[in-house]
Amino acid sequence: MNNNRLNFIWILLIGLLVSLGGCDDFLTKEVLGNSTDENFFDTKYKLQAALNASYDVLQMDLFNECEWRFGEACADDVWGGDEGLGSQMGQLVHFRFNTSNEWIRNRYDINYKGIHRANQVIANVNRVKLSIYDYNSYREIREILGQAKFLRALYYFNLVKTYGGVPIRQETETVDNLVIPRSTAEEVYAYIEKDLREAAIMLPARYVGNDAGKADEGAAVALLMKVLMYQAIPGEKSEKWEEIVRLGEFFVDGTPLTFGEILKFDNTVETWEALRKRLWFQPQEEIQPSDPYETDNTLLNPLHNAYSIEYKDYYGNSISYVEQFFQIGEFCKGSVFEVVFKESADGSGGDENEGTPIYTNHYSTSPQIWSTDAIIQEIFSSDARRSFMIGHQQYAPDGEIAQTGPGRHFSLKWYTPIKDRPQYGGDNGKNRRLIRYAEVILMYAEALNECGKGDLALIKLNFLKSQANKIDNSSNLYVGGGYGYMRDQIWKERRIELCYEWDRFFDLVRQGRAAEVIKIYGAKRANKRGYYFRKGINELFPIPQSEIDISNGIVVQNPGY
Amino acid sequence: MKNKHIISSKIIIITIMMMTVNISCEQDVIKNPKATIEINKDKLNINESLQIVFTGEADQVVIFTGDDMHNYDLRKESNTGFVVDKNVFTYSYATPGTYKVVCIASTYGDAAVNLQFDTCAVVITVIDDQTEIDRLSCPQILYDEVFAERLANDNWIMRLPRKVRYNNLTPSIALSQRLKFYVQSDSTQFFINGNAFESTKKYDLSSTVNIDVKSHFGTVRPYTLHTLYYPEFESFKMLGVNGKLKRTEFDYSSFELEITLPNGTDVSHVIPEFKTYAATDKIYINDVEQISTVTAVDFTHNVTYKIVSFLAGNSDIQAIGTVKIKIIYQ
Repeated sequence: MNNNRLNFIWILLIGLLVSLGGCDDFLTKEVLGNSTDENFFDTKYKLQAALNASYDVLQMDLFNECEWRFGEACADDVWGGDEGLGSQMGQLVHFRFNTSNEWIRNRYDINYKGIHRANQVIANVNRVKLSIYDYNSYREIREILGQAKFLRALYYFNLVKTYGGVPIRQETETVDNLVIPRSTAEEVYAYIEKDLREAAIMLPARYVGNDAGKADEGAAVALLMKVLMYQAIPGEKSEKWEEIVRLGEFFVDGTPLTFGEILKFDNTVETWEALRKRLWFQPQEEIQPSDPYETDNTLLNPLHNAYSIEYKDYYGNSISYVEQFFQIGEFCKGSVFEVVFKESADGSGGDENEGTPIYTNHYSTSPQIWSTDAIIQEIFSSDARRSFMIGHQQYAPDGEIAQTGPGRHFSLKWYTPIKDRPQYGGDNGKNRRLIRYAEVILMYAEALNECGKGDLALIKLNFLKSQANKIDNSSNLYVGGGYGYMRDQIWKERRIELCYEWDRFFDLVRQGRAAEVIKIYGAKRANKRGYYFRKGINELFPIPQSEIDISNGIVVQNPGY
Repeated sequence: MKNKHIISSKIIIITIMMMTVNISCEQDVIKNPKATIEINKDKLNINESLQIVFTGEADQVVIFTGDDMHNYDLRKESNTGFVVDKNVFTYSYATPGTYKVVCIASTYGDAAVNLQFDTCAVVITVIDDQTEIDRLSCPQILYDEVFAERLANDNWIMRLPRKVRYNNLTPSIALSQRLKFYVQSDSTQFFINGNAFESTKKYDLSSTVNIDVKSHFGTVRPYTLHTLYYPEFESFKMLGVNGKLKRTEFDYSSFELEITLPNGTDVSHVIPEFKTYAATDKIYINDVEQISTVTAVDFTHNVTYKIVSFLAGNSDIQAIGTVKIKIIYQ
């Protein structure tokens, strides 16, 4: 090798090193014209877009599929078309699944997807730059943040009632905190409560007009009541029952409630001004004389006139009982929070009219779940709401003949009237009612009874029953009795009024009688579906096996699995 | 030269094609399955987690847990196993017994042909030593279920109403009642005063009931159940007028006693005459003991009597009733 060639190689190597050094600048160059997680959340519009993505999870078919599969199909009000032990669904409803069951995995994943998206809003709200530092600008951001907190609470509630304590994800995810151990159920419930208490003071009483459908104060307080009820044990005195009564007095009777009361505000933990800033109330130093200044003594917006048990649509016009669940009844007086189905939120035309499949799958000639004569008799007996079940070749309210198959009955709550069915890409699917005012009344009544106020509980219970009696001019009312008798009547009314709204299984679990009820139901079935429910184990589903595996043992499985 | 290149290119292409053909013609080699498992323990309590780790060789692993509907020996009679995912399977047993856990490791070729399998088995013993009573009730106090209160040392106290108000009727409640036990295990047995418990039989609760709870494992735990009626006035008279006891449907321990007196009656210093059902009952107003025909009361203010019944021989076990006096002037 001569010197010239050696020099050439040295020059080439040096040139290569220099050019590599230049690559470093190129790689670290600031991205212009594109959004990053650092700069995306700088306006309220972008924060709103992030919030929309969190709502979008509620609209996803998978979310709703998991809702009916766990809340309805696992309980005793339906039979199913997929009950063979060869399928994942069949194993689920038989309580003969293993920890790798796909539906157990799906429910876990889809709710964490919602949590992740809500966390994006909550973690990045402080990146928003206001153009005007006035009261309304703060209020707009505060309401977005409040809705994100509500949604996060809703998703965590779904998880904790299904799996028990779950990992509480950090609001900002990094590669260093991907594996998080489970928190206890008590810690998760405390986390949910905090979100809901704060959402209640951040949101308006009820969204109307173009904003109808957004989570509001009514939704936050109603869900808080339910979250408290799931922590309270029937027959055992507790502060949870007492607080449900207090919230019921506020929601239903109109007894005033302050910000401080619902927050359980403690100024040794956080000053009021720090709380105001964290929740995007206008900072004290920026307040103009005409602006309101909220204190811990500020009263929550009253809710008792915002909702009604009367069957009235959004505008106050009378509708029938079952129309509350149709398009005409969307945002009706008895609806507190709905999953609003719109065109696919990502703008694609591929998944048109979200929400439609979950109803058409039930209300079809080959339904996934259905009821029977015996179950209907057990639920309703002579109650007028029985008439909103429909059997094979019977007529729906708009005249359509039901082809349910002999012996099968559907709830008209699942029915989409012909005129409501989406035909074109931009049409809306029928909204799903997630929280109704009737349930608020029933939670209030149950808590009153648990607090030794059976007489007041009876008044609330019959308040609801009297409305249902108007369907057929019946005069049957519930009758006063001791604690156990009142509790049974309230649970009976819960089953009638809230049936087929995909919550029965979790209601039985929190009442502490899932094993008793589901095993009796299973014993009556030829395939014994439900008979193998294991008391003390199956009240909770297992953490998906893949979560245990990837966490390398940090995430611990539920007992018995 | 050009032809030479073309020929060599063809040779290369043909060689590659032949190699490809050779690869696809390769026989589908199926591994021999090997069924081996490790378990975390072979003696369990009911509902305790059993972890089975598959350590063998297989394309698919199925576990028959040996309990009802999962018995390997009955696999041709619709009993099924559980497919194992990622070599780990967890389970628990609801009923005690001895179970043969069978693991089936199988391998197969493409399109699930040439199925081969291997099995192994372990025996699991599940014991049930549950003797804890979670709750205890009289399930049919008319239409109500009345729960007993747990006291110290496995004592329970059942407080029952003497009468209940229901639909404007006031039927009496006897001390002969059915009992209902809430326990974690279906295998637990109960013995009442030495005899096997029957859920439809009425038991005499007028004296202390001895309850033996026997677990499937054989452990016997004794409990005692005491019963008291909520105390109330059997009679109450003031100024020669009998009062009328009124009860509520909702609270068996609270009463209202109505007395109708002539307008203008001075009730500022009245000595009432009253009687309760048990001679040992104590009667108080604001923690001051009241003696019939002895203690004077100012009825110009709201007056509420507290009546305390005690269990004979154990004054710590009590039932308390309250009676609010309502005077109606005519």
